[in-house]
Amino acid sequence: MRWIWIDKFIEFETGRRAVAVKNVTLAEEHLHDHFPGFPVMPESLCIEGMAQTAGILVGEARNFQEKVILAKVKKAVFFDYVVPGDTLTLEAQIESIAPEAAGTTGKITCGKKLIAEIDLMFSHIDNNLAGIEFPEENFVFTDTFKSLMRGPAFSEQD
Amino acid sequence: MKFILIDKVVALEPGRRITAVKNVTLAEEYLADHFPTFPVLPGVLLLEGLIESASWLVRETEKFAHSMILLEQARNVKYKSFLAPGSQIEYNIEAKIIDENISSFSGFGAADGRKIVEARLGLRHFNLADKDSAMAAVDATVTENMKKRWKLLKKLKS
Amino acid sequence: MAKDRNEIFQDVQEVLIDALGVDDDEVTDKATLMGDLGAESIDFLDIVFRLEKAFGIKIPREELFPAESLMNNPEFIDNGKLTEKGLTELREKMPHTDLADFEKDPDINKLGNLFTVNAIVNYIEIKLNAA
Repeated sequence: MRWIWIDKFIEFETGRRAVAVKNVTLAEEHLHDHFPGFPVMPESLCIEGMAQTAGILVGEARNFQEKVILAKVKKAVFFDYVVPGDTLTLEAQIESIAPEAAGTTGKITCGKKLIAEIDLMFSHIDNNLAGIEFPEENFVFTDTFKSLMRGPAFSEQD
Repeated sequence: MKFILIDKVVALEPGRRITAVKNVTLAEEYLADHFPTFPVLPGVLLLEGLIESASWLVRETEKFAHSMILLEQARNVKYKSFLAPGSQIEYNIEAKIIDENISSFSGFGAADGRKIVEARLGLRHFNLADKDSAMAAVDATVTENMKKRWKLLKKLKS
Repeated sequence: MAKDRNEIFQDVQEVLIDALGVDDDEVTDKATLMGDLGAESIDFLDIVFRLEKAFGIKIPREELFPAESLMNNPEFIDNGKLTEKGLTELREKMPHTDLADFEKDPDINKLGNLFTVNAIVNYIEIKLNAA
């Protein structure tokens, strides 16, 4: 299991808005536990997909200088569930951004169906006195995530 | 890799509250990505631990009446501290209300005397047959499998 | 936008209920954000963002919740209490708060008690009237 819950970005406006997609497939092991007999994508992993979409949007706005981590799920409301064969579209917008944190709003759709509305808050841990020691390097935005920053959504970027 | 985010249910009062624990070990695959050099349990999997705990309280309370128990909403999910391999987290869930198809809870997770996560959540419970009677057999399969899992998890201190 | 104190209080109450997940009867005038309502660092930011949106004003977090910079400056702290310099700084930064009780025992652990619902309402009132 890799900890990447989005597949690619289809739109990306620096500092404002990003849209990513995720395919859901029976090849994903965890679906067979949730639930055995009828696989549905766990809502918690939908939230992670949004956290990655929004987190990359927030991180990129400051050139991936800070370690951006999920600090609070303000709200996550689900209207329908997702099954193998579905493709999710995750859209995130930056609502507010400050040196130490950022707030995002977003929604997940599957075709025309609204699946979820998810509002998040991220903390830039280098800017927060957490009193915990972190490794120097930016372990949050690894090459795996940076590799998502390629493709048609980025061809017009400067 | 299995998608089960609690290991033992150690206390349960039907309709009221449940306590479960989860061990965190470096053997959990996603820790390699979250994060390299700083492995900690992903926030959404802490939330999943709370969701699963609340779900088992519902299943026991309604005597496995519904096969599908899904997150309907999560609010004010706050991440207060990191949870590293070698720790054990204890989830405590209090039910506010458990109705036939909907329930709401408040809960938190703590490890080594520190609060790790707290949240308010709402679940919805239903059978697939509610919308499509042909799915009754699938409901039965899921329910059977969840009853088997319950036998593994239930380790109530008498 | 002319809002009277009661309207401001109601809007602030709504913001705190949403941001902190508390009930409306917990958000009283005297309630402290940290002690009574369970607010923490990340919540302070959430609250500032929401207040900005609700009232259409810019709120530098430092102005509303100046504790952090005070607590980290060695000139202002001596033996767990605010020094005279610290108290002067606090008075300047928090004109919207009644400091009389705190000044009797300026223990920095009690700084959190200054952040009451009332203090926020005062702050917003001052900001809106200055605009």
